[in-house]
Amino acid sequence: MNVEFLFFLETVLNGLMAGVMYALVALGFALIFKASGIFNFAQGVMALFAALTLVGLQTGQVPFAHLINAIFGTEVHHFGWELPAIVAIAGTLVVMVAFAYLFEGLVLKHLVNQEPIILFMATIGLAYFLEGFGDLMWGADIKRLDVGIPSGGSFWWEDVTREWAPEGSDYFGMYVDKLDVVAAIVAVVLVSALVAFSQYTKFGRALRAVADDHQAALSVGISLRTIWVVVWSIAGFVALVAGIMWGAKSGVQFSLSLIALKALPVLILGGFTSIPGAIVGGLIIGVGEKLAELYIGPLVGGAIENWFAYVVALVFLLFRPQGLFGERIIERI
Amino acid sequence: MAEHEPMLDTFPKYLLLNAERFAGLPAMRHKDFGIWQSWTWKEQLEQVRTFSIGLQTHGVAHGERVAVVGANRPRLYWAIAALQALGAVPVPVYADAVAEELAYVLDHAGVRLAVVQDQEQVDKILSFSEKIPNLGLIIYDEQRGLADYDHSRLVSFADVQEAGRKAIEDAPDLSVRWEETIRAASGDDVSIMLYTSGTTGRSKGVVITAAAAVQAASDTAAFDKLNEHDSVLAYLPLAWVGDHYLNYAQGYVSGFCVNCPEGPETVAQDLKEIGPTFYFAPPRVFEGLLTMVTIRMEDAGRLKKWIFDKFIGVARKHGEAILEGRPVPLSGRIAYALGRVFVYGPLKNVLGLSKVRTAYTAGEAIGEDLFSFFRSLGINLKQLYGQTEAFLYVTCQEDGAVRADAVGPAAPNVDVRISSDGEVQFKSPGMFKGYYLDDAKTAETLTEDGYVKTGDAGFFDQDGQLRIIDRAKDVGRLKSGALFSPKYVENALKFFPNIKEAVAFGDQRDFCAVFINIDLTAVGNWAERNNISYASYQELAGHPRVYEMIANHVDDTNRKLSKEPMMAGAQIKRFLVLHKELDADDGELTRTQKVRRGFIGDRYGELIEALYDGSPEKFVETEVTYEDGRKGSIRATVKIADAKLYDVPAEAMKEAAE
Amino acid sequence: MNARPDSSEFSGARDDGIAKGDTLLEVNNVSLSFGGVKAITDISFDIKKGEIRAIIGPNGAGKTSMLNVINGFYTPQQGTITYRGVPRRAMRTTDAARQGIARTFQNIALFKGMSTLDNIMTGRITLQKRNLFWQGLWAGPAEREEIEHRRAVEAIIDFLEIEHIRKTPVGRLPYGLQKRVELGRALAAEPSLLLLDEPMAGMNLEEKEDMSRFILDVNNQFGTTIALIEHDMGVVMDISDRIVVLDYGRKIGDGNPDEIAKNQDVIDAYLGVPHEG
Repeated sequence: MNVEFLFFLETVLNGLMAGVMYALVALGFALIFKASGIFNFAQGVMALFAALTLVGLQTGQVPFAHLINAIFGTEVHHFGWELPAIVAIAGTLVVMVAFAYLFEGLVLKHLVNQEPIILFMATIGLAYFLEGFGDLMWGADIKRLDVGIPSGGSFWWEDVTREWAPEGSDYFGMYVDKLDVVAAIVAVVLVSALVAFSQYTKFGRALRAVADDHQAALSVGISLRTIWVVVWSIAGFVALVAGIMWGAKSGVQFSLSLIALKALPVLILGGFTSIPGAIVGGLIIGVGEKLAELYIGPLVGGAIENWFAYVVALVFLLFRPQGLFGERIIERI
Repeated sequence: MAEHEPMLDTFPKYLLLNAERFAGLPAMRHKDFGIWQSWTWKEQLEQVRTFSIGLQTHGVAHGERVAVVGANRPRLYWAIAALQALGAVPVPVYADAVAEELAYVLDHAGVRLAVVQDQEQVDKILSFSEKIPNLGLIIYDEQRGLADYDHSRLVSFADVQEAGRKAIEDAPDLSVRWEETIRAASGDDVSIMLYTSGTTGRSKGVVITAAAAVQAASDTAAFDKLNEHDSVLAYLPLAWVGDHYLNYAQGYVSGFCVNCPEGPETVAQDLKEIGPTFYFAPPRVFEGLLTMVTIRMEDAGRLKKWIFDKFIGVARKHGEAILEGRPVPLSGRIAYALGRVFVYGPLKNVLGLSKVRTAYTAGEAIGEDLFSFFRSLGINLKQLYGQTEAFLYVTCQEDGAVRADAVGPAAPNVDVRISSDGEVQFKSPGMFKGYYLDDAKTAETLTEDGYVKTGDAGFFDQDGQLRIIDRAKDVGRLKSGALFSPKYVENALKFFPNIKEAVAFGDQRDFCAVFINIDLTAVGNWAERNNISYASYQELAGHPRVYEMIANHVDDTNRKLSKEPMMAGAQIKRFLVLHKELDADDGELTRTQKVRRGFIGDRYGELIEALYDGSPEKFVETEVTYEDGRKGSIRATVKIADAKLYDVPAEAMKEAAE
Repeated sequence: MNARPDSSEFSGARDDGIAKGDTLLEVNNVSLSFGGVKAITDISFDIKKGEIRAIIGPNGAGKTSMLNVINGFYTPQQGTITYRGVPRRAMRTTDAARQGIARTFQNIALFKGMSTLDNIMTGRITLQKRNLFWQGLWAGPAEREEIEHRRAVEAIIDFLEIEHIRKTPVGRLPYGLQKRVELGRALAAEPSLLLLDEPMAGMNLEEKEDMSRFILDVNNQFGTTIALIEHDMGVVMDISDRIVVLDYGRKIGDGNPDEIAKNQDVIDAYLGVPHEG
């Protein structure tokens, strides 16, 4: 294999890895949209909030420390303990489920039978609330998230790929971040689990039933409120996974919530209602971006990665608005 | 393998043998409650044994005739074996027979007992039970809906089996004696009585003896190398000779597994799940499959359709050659191999035909295109010609010598001849003993030297394959003496999609002439593509461009006819395109959409006259019946066109005239 | 082993402790209005265990509103509903379902994107006990339970003769079959009380005959109590044990088919006074 081709391969590989990261976020959107027809504007913020909470619990931060200190004039910041990653993750999960309960009880409950646009507005409100609330609870400083996921380039892979280059050429092997590999594995496991859950379990069927017809779902005894809580809990769980991966990669900071913007073109590409669509869409955007940067970038002065995904999405909206995997709804009268 | 085993002469003997030699292999499967239930040969023997002994407790005796009515269900197949084991005669009856037909058969066969599938059949039998005092007990398979019925003469299959089980418990040697009875049975016993569906007159009970049935089934099973690892889907009517022979008889002698579908609507799905290795379907089923594939491809994306068309093209070019092991250029082989991965494999899988090793079609003529489409996908589809009186096979095609327009040479050990007046006659190992209680008909059907008259006209072509032309009574002669078969000419024309119906005339006339009915859908599409506007069927039918197109079809047909020595004399000299569609409401077609040639001849006498007196056109007025029953009339001037005749080799003319 | 699985996995109707012929549901002086418009006025009737009870009346008579009150979609302003001996103003819809009231809808409310099998499976949701934790793991007890319920659903599929559409998304099915699947979903709950809202609307004669047979079979075989709304008088007279007639939200007749056929008020409502729509 010549060096040129190896570069191409490396770009594709890295694109796929980046795509998995996008897909992780898009997944949370698709899940809620499929189950309840709500476009959850807050998904990105939920990932940020989950990551903040995780770091906070793990490092023993005192929640609302600034507030407490301001009111009582104290100087508390840390409890002084550190939790193992797995315990902190479980704790965060509990927080996300509690959050789902609260959101259902305080907001959604009152919006039953409202138009989707109203519910969408509610999620915008939720996004702003959660952003401020996260800030208040854990502080606005950039944090490092470390749950023990290996990161950095894989030397083993570099060694392997170096052998592929022709003898004597100036090639040092491919760079693949171990974190990305872990993210890919996690994504595959997550998606398989979600698909199995939705196809073969009572709750999965109930979720699909509610998404399809509220009234009929009620008549067979499905409690809408329970389903909302389940859906938002799962969305919270997915947000947590995305938060961990992105947080471990680039630190936990406000800009984490902006990854949601990258998820939008992924969803348009894959179709809003499709879980496999979210994955494939993510991969296509990831690979497309990196390849465009490599081959077209030099011609237009770089930074293609910033807008490439949106152009692709625009093209899709024009020619195939339901996305690659979206459902063309069949109705008979 | 069957051929190494000693030759047995009844099916129950094979049941005992198979329960030993294939003990753990599946004999029967049935999809029920969404799951494929299966029974090994050993289990099948037990099912048959308990039911058979249960029947004994109800007094079923040697030689007694018992009706079996219903769809393809394991229990009904077991009932057949259970009856044969006692020396009783199973009389399967079509499940969709109306009450009167069923009553006739049950009465004629002198049935005292009936094994039926469900409530529907029970209701039918009860509706006429007082007219047949002979009829006593009804045994049913499916309980549903029967709970509230008077059970004095109804008993469930399971209860009969239970009675059998109890009888065995009470007298353990009963089971041994049962097996001894089977082993001692004679091959001269009647194995089964199959009532022909009888398009004309009352149906007749075709009596088949055991040794003959076993012999015939063994011959063809060996011919197609069927073995205990094969499997079939039993979806054709249980009472039809085809199902009984292909699935039951061949199954017992070769030990393959018979799969019963969940229901008539699920056959396609079940076929896909089972993937049989041996498959039979009449041409219309293959036609339906092709239509389905075509429609799906019309709906598919452009890329998919392009790939499909591309590779079907490759298959049409090389597929049959590859199937028959003829030389094919390397590029063709590579393209075909790719096609197998992308198109043929997935397609065959969807159709449930991916494991098929041998497939047959029969019953009517099959279009060349249709036939080679399936063969080009790598499906070994062949033709056979058969009759109930032969216990199915008369002729069948060998692997590698397959054509669409012929039905093959005589089947193994079958002797086929053409009588002086062109009728196909045969003598075969499986041939029937006679019609039940109808010696006159039996005598009428057999020749003096013991051949069976098929009633079909046909001839052997150069390759030694039999070609069926028509029903013998429909075949006529032109004044020149040349053979004229209206159906042969009509079928040749009807293979063109633009031609929906054709009616050929020529018996005792100077030449052959035809009426043609265009297919409104096909010709309408063609007209749309060619910017031909029309307001009615009549206008389209009379359009000069349509005549031009039909003239080309007639010309092709004549060219084809001219190459067939027996048929060449009857080329089409004049034709017209009829101004109205032939319609069952007007009595022009039967309700099963077959042309009523005589009626049409009377109704359109003027037009026939015009065909033969050389006039270029003819004005006619025809009465029609509208869908709501009102009558009206349509007037038209119908053009009559001449067609070119092709030269016929002189000796062929002579041969045909003899 | 290979014994044919019978329908023993599926009992058809749950045991609600009420003897055949005793009152299962009683509607007492119920009134319902929407913003001043009266839909139902002071209606009382009862449904006895094991019967087929028809509710008929011209369009706008309040029949569907009555069903909606019974299964908890609407809360009446006045009156009580006594179900299995417990009087209430209204039940929550999910509670009604849990207590064995299943229904179909006039305009078919199936889950269109889901298969026939999945649709009918959702009918068993109230009978599936395993919690989310086990469901999430899909292991042990949850798996066993899933298989058990699948068996029951297969019995229903067999009962309704819809094997061939088991895996087809119901949105693609023709109308008549959708109606049948919807009946299947309601049956899957093994209901004490089955509410059918115009089960034969829009069907041709043959489909109507099939549906009538299924309704009678359900009543016969499982002893399910059925309350149905139907427009086709012939069908109603044929299959119901007792009939309530509503007109303009009021009850104008109640009795067996013979009595109803002779009831002058009913004849007037159907023939005399013009008030369609």
